[in-house]
Amino acid sequence: MFEMIEQPVVNFHLYPSVGEEDWRYCFATAEVRTLGAGMLSKTELLNMANAVDFADAVDLLSSGEYALPARADLAEIENILLVKRSEVRKLACGLMDESIAELFEARDDFANMRLALRRTLTDKELGLDYSGDGNVAAERFEDIFAREDYYSLPFYLAEAVEEAVLGYYQNKDIRQIDYAIDSAHARHNIATAQRLENHFLLELFRMQIDLTNIRTMLRLKFTESQLRDVFLAGGYIDPRRLKHCIEIDYEAIAPLFIASPYYPAIEQGVSYLAAEKSFLKLESCCWEHLEGFLDSTDQISAGIQPVIAYLLKKENEIRTVRLILTAKKNFLDTKLILDRIS
Amino acid sequence: MDYAMAIALAGAAIATFMAGIGSSIGLGIAGRAAAGVLAEKPERYGLMTLLVVLPSTQGIYGFVISLFVMLKLNMFGGGVDSLSIATACQLFAGCLPVAVAGLFSGIHQGKACAGGIVMAAKRPDMGIKAGLVYAALVEFYAILGFLVSLLIIMIGITVG
Repeated sequence: MFEMIEQPVVNFHLYPSVGEEDWRYCFATAEVRTLGAGMLSKTELLNMANAVDFADAVDLLSSGEYALPARADLAEIENILLVKRSEVRKLACGLMDESIAELFEARDDFANMRLALRRTLTDKELGLDYSGDGNVAAERFEDIFAREDYYSLPFYLAEAVEEAVLGYYQNKDIRQIDYAIDSAHARHNIATAQRLENHFLLELFRMQIDLTNIRTMLRLKFTESQLRDVFLAGGYIDPRRLKHCIEIDYEAIAPLFIASPYYPAIEQGVSYLAAEKSFLKLESCCWEHLEGFLDSTDQISAGIQPVIAYLLKKENEIRTVRLILTAKKNFLDTKLILDRIS
Repeated sequence: MDYAMAIALAGAAIATFMAGIGSSIGLGIAGRAAAGVLAEKPERYGLMTLLVVLPSTQGIYGFVISLFVMLKLNMFGGGVDSLSIATACQLFAGCLPVAVAGLFSGIHQGKACAGGIVMAAKRPDMGIKAGLVYAALVEFYAILGFLVSLLIIMIGITVG
């Protein structure tokens, strides 16, 4: 079983330290810095968002690495972007130690398992349309679920599946699958970062847990849900504070976090949510906070930190390109796109 | 006589191998960083090479000091007639500045060069302005070690 996770204490102003340099990663750092210089700038993404239509937005990408075939439809573009994402993941994982690469590949295992469990437990076709970037091949799922042989999966996944199945059968609530998988994933991340004694990974995962918890809290409040014990353990913010936030007015939420590094994100996100009834700004602010931490890896000349930062930033870039193109294809208001990405 | 020669030659050896270790570690660090940039941008070969070769100088300084010790001992002309233990120890001590300064400055210059290379990956225009200049500042202390060794061996010690 997973061990209990201690509640960490915030001992930094905005971002925690990124840790020490590791000169084994000279080559990797130089390579990702070179690749990072070719990433799309904020201005280019804003220009895409401001494009007149879908074709115009695609045209703006024509000069860079995202050059897409003329008259490509959205499905085709999505496939190209998925291939691109797989390439980026393969490159970044190839530059990392195997144990760290496994940790990042496990993200897809958890996502695949979430989908497979949802389908299995609701008696739907299991299918084979899963991400191929994980550690477990989707072809194995059918056999594993047929025999209920979850322990032939990696241990971290077997635990997650067992918890998700138990959670689901308690009241047949499909959301329990998501909470169990998220919780198991967060615990696996924290436990692995602690085992590897990797300070940067530990801080990154704590920050991701906090940002997920903040979003969960506001979603529960917005939907007036009665669920409370769904917050992930291991972050800096005490879950009791988040539970308290669900019970109070929107205006009173941000001041409760004034001494925390997440105050700017919460303040902007909550104001937008209260005014527009939308989570767009919150999502954008949460990413900006995380991106600020990833950008601070520029301080070091060699280490795993810049490689991880590149991987996460590049994945977000691909996600943003897909988001803008999908929005343009569906004639969404430019203001909505800008609120989400800027 | 034999012991004295052994001490003096040990000094010459230390000057070359310690400074050489510093240079090779520094070159290894800078070389790996440059390879990372060149994997994506082969057209930056010139700038990268300039930054990679900087840590090689420490090894050369150590080698030059070793040569001077050997010249002092007249090794290429049949050897000195008499060498006291005290003079041999002085020669040994004369080799230490370049050996120790070369070892540490070589490693740290390699790291400074790697930093410059990584910076030049993002900002090629800053590669020469900052990357090269900062790495060259580390060189200053290797030069000081070299000069002190040279002065001790050439001026401070009389053999025979």
